[in-house]
Amino acid sequence: MKNMKQKFSNLLRDIFHPREIFRVLGKDRYASLKIRIVLLDVLLSMIPLFIVITISYFWFQKILKDDFHKQLNWEIQNTKQTIEFFVDERLSVLRFITSSYTYEQLSDQKILTETFARFKKEFGGLVDFGIIDSSGIQRSYTGPYNLAGKDYSTQEWFQEVIIRSYYVSDAFTGYRKIPHFAVAIKREVPEKGTFWILRATINIDTLQKYVNTVNLRSNDDIFIINREGILQTPSKFHGDVLEKYTAPVTIPRQEILIQELQTSGDDCKICGFATIKHSPWILVTVIRSTPYARIPSIFRNELFFITMGSILLGLIFTIVMANTVVNRIKLSDQDREKAVGQSEHASKMASIGRLAAGVAHEINNPLAIINEKAGLMKDILEVSGNTPDNKDKFLSLISGIAESVNRCRTITHRLLGFSRRMEISQDAIDMNDAIQEVIGFLEKEILYRNIRLELNLQENLPKVITDKGQVQQVFLNIINNAIDALKKNGLINVTTYAKDDKFIGIAIKDNGSGIPKENLKHIFEPFYSTKEKGEGTGLGLSISYGIVQKLGGTILVESEINKGTTFSVELPLKSEGD
Amino acid sequence: MAHTKVLLVDDEKEFASALAERLQLRNYDVKSASNALEALGIVHSFLPDVVLLDLKIPGMDGIETLKAIKKFDSTIEVIMLTGHGDVRSVEDGMKSGAFEYIMKPVDIGELTLKINRASQKKQTS
Amino acid sequence: MDSQYENELRTLQMRFIGKIIAVFTHEIKNYIAIINESTGLIGDMMKLGKSPENELPVYLDIIHSIEDYIEKTTGHFRYLNRFAHRMDAPLSSFHINESLEELIALINRFANQKRISFKQGYDNDMPPVYGNPSLLQLIIFTFVEKNIMELEQDSTIIMQTAVADKSVLITIIPNGKRVEGSSAPIPTELLDIIIKELGGNISQDRGKNTVIMLPLTSSTA
Repeated sequence: MKNMKQKFSNLLRDIFHPREIFRVLGKDRYASLKIRIVLLDVLLSMIPLFIVITISYFWFQKILKDDFHKQLNWEIQNTKQTIEFFVDERLSVLRFITSSYTYEQLSDQKILTETFARFKKEFGGLVDFGIIDSSGIQRSYTGPYNLAGKDYSTQEWFQEVIIRSYYVSDAFTGYRKIPHFAVAIKREVPEKGTFWILRATINIDTLQKYVNTVNLRSNDDIFIINREGILQTPSKFHGDVLEKYTAPVTIPRQEILIQELQTSGDDCKICGFATIKHSPWILVTVIRSTPYARIPSIFRNELFFITMGSILLGLIFTIVMANTVVNRIKLSDQDREKAVGQSEHASKMASIGRLAAGVAHEINNPLAIINEKAGLMKDILEVSGNTPDNKDKFLSLISGIAESVNRCRTITHRLLGFSRRMEISQDAIDMNDAIQEVIGFLEKEILYRNIRLELNLQENLPKVITDKGQVQQVFLNIINNAIDALKKNGLINVTTYAKDDKFIGIAIKDNGSGIPKENLKHIFEPFYSTKEKGEGTGLGLSISYGIVQKLGGTILVESEINKGTTFSVELPLKSEGD
Repeated sequence: MAHTKVLLVDDEKEFASALAERLQLRNYDVKSASNALEALGIVHSFLPDVVLLDLKIPGMDGIETLKAIKKFDSTIEVIMLTGHGDVRSVEDGMKSGAFEYIMKPVDIGELTLKINRASQKKQTS
Repeated sequence: MDSQYENELRTLQMRFIGKIIAVFTHEIKNYIAIINESTGLIGDMMKLGKSPENELPVYLDIIHSIEDYIEKTTGHFRYLNRFAHRMDAPLSSFHINESLEELIALINRFANQKRISFKQGYDNDMPPVYGNPSLLQLIIFTFVEKNIMELEQDSTIIMQTAVADKSVLITIIPNGKRVEGSSAPIPTELLDIIIKELGGNISQDRGKNTVIMLPLTSSTA
């Protein structure tokens, strides 16, 4: 049990956090997403379905059962009332006889026999009549037995009839082994202060007749037993008259009790017990064939097919839906990636333009210097010729030209570096060098705007294996933003540090106007720009964000109005990304 | 004829000194400044006829310096020294009252031509 | 264009730009070196100072050459600037002849390594074209580079432009012997896709001439 539980919880965990099982599919995260959606959906829809089915099933079963029980109750009630009526009728007959005839009359054997014969004609099943006096002696008797003068004073029934004024007996074996039962009536004679009893024996058949009128299914049984469990009428399955009914009997407190008993077989046995008023009897109904037990099985079969059908339908539908939706997501993800790739590329291309323009611009000055100095030399030569006085002047001009030539070389060298970088994408980069290169690009701009530059570059900063070009693009973007934020005068501080043995950090801080809190959270969004139209695309930071993410790092911004802004970039020493 | 007074404003000292010398050889009376503040000071004291102004000087914006000079004396003609691709600055400069512009590296013949034209304009105004 | 081709195209573009900048840089370094050497020469001559009067014309000559190379450098940077700024926008209006001239100027040194020279036969009445100039330059460069690799020394490549109907034709005519068994590979499939997206097409005839047709207005981005 515990093992199963463990297995089940593992399965749940795997479904919602794909691990080994979904590793193959996990490579295609869309497939795994589809599976998760379908499973979740099916599970979620199956649960209410099952709840509803289960509730309906049991509810339906209960209704049927209740209905059946009600029906049974009604039938038992009917039978009970019929038998009660039968009993009461017999008692009434006897009462009638005792009120119509006197003790003296009926004590006469001849009159008793005559009366008996007459009543016997009308009421089938009468076996004998007997008149018993107040001391329990049978005074007169008509019938097949030889019971004249019998003393009943010690018998229980005698005591009972005295108390109750009536008596109905259990079945007993009688004449020719035919089971009988006896009824007796006490007639009070108030003027003489005494009483007498009229007793009649009746054939059980008649009783049986009433019991048997109940319409029963073949598997069902209805019979009468006494308080001791002795059968009064024959039972189909449980024995004949006067045999013991061995199954458990519950004597109902109210008149009718219906009990459900589980037997060893599949079918459920229902026992109905009903007390018969004015008699020692209990009417027992044993129902084996509970139709409501059968109906649910039919229901169950149909239900099964319906359930399976709807699950299948639901599954197909969910799969189609999940497929459609996830495919759309996949497409839109692809589109987005494509768009990001495109804008990254566009940004790269644009940066080439800027680079070329930047270099061209920078080189103008040293070229102009060379031009002027050479020109000056020409002028002096043309005016005063090659005199020894001028020699020093010329030499100093020449050395000035040489200096500018060097400047040109340095500037051009940057271009070469850039072109090489277009090919390499993974290299061990010294971040300090990379940053200084970027600053080199922007030096003129920084100086022109009178911005102070502070560099706190950690010595022996560990090298990072990453794409130098992309990383420099990020720094270029951030420092450009800082320059724009400062406009003129201000401070930019660039700090590099080793965060831990896995990451290095680069912090670029300016003391400009800062970024308001509401804008901060949007700052890395594409097309978000606080610059005027035409200045900047608003893509810079979002692309930088994308690049840093791809390289496996993080980029954060902190800012305070009128205090300044700090961008922190952390990069892993070993980049796992592209 | 008095020598045309030229103020050369450029932060590249090497360039400025060489060019100034070349212009001196061509009989111009040349003074140099390397930033806006210095430039304005010399404008006030030297009262040049023509100012050669590099737009990318530190301190005040080049255009602002131009405006300040014109404000001081609108007859002073300003010729802008620009690098390639500075189209917008040149436009702004022309709108703000510059007389002409010339691109670096400078062709000395072209420059003297423009200085003379500027000086002529000043004389007639 | 599907993403695989997009990536290939981007790589191709990056390589192209890298090559152009590399060639350019070498050219500039060359110019600067000449300026440097020239200046150094004057310096040396002055230090030695043997016969000052005779040296005067020499000095003037050298200075003239220095000024020349300064102009060459500035001019070459102008080409680079134009070239680089063509990438600012995916579509723009441009002049084919100009863009070819600048491309040839930028790669001239590369061709010069095999003493291969360019001849131009440009139609001067070319209207401006609306399209993607940097991609066009990429395509043209690919074929020109191929020809440079495959031709023998001292050959020429003729660049022709002509107007036709609602399009322009750029023809690259290699003029010279082919190096035995040489065949420089080019990504023909990708180039076809690119040119088709621009609304044009590329064809090669038996004479190994390459003709690139471009509509006056590229309809697709």
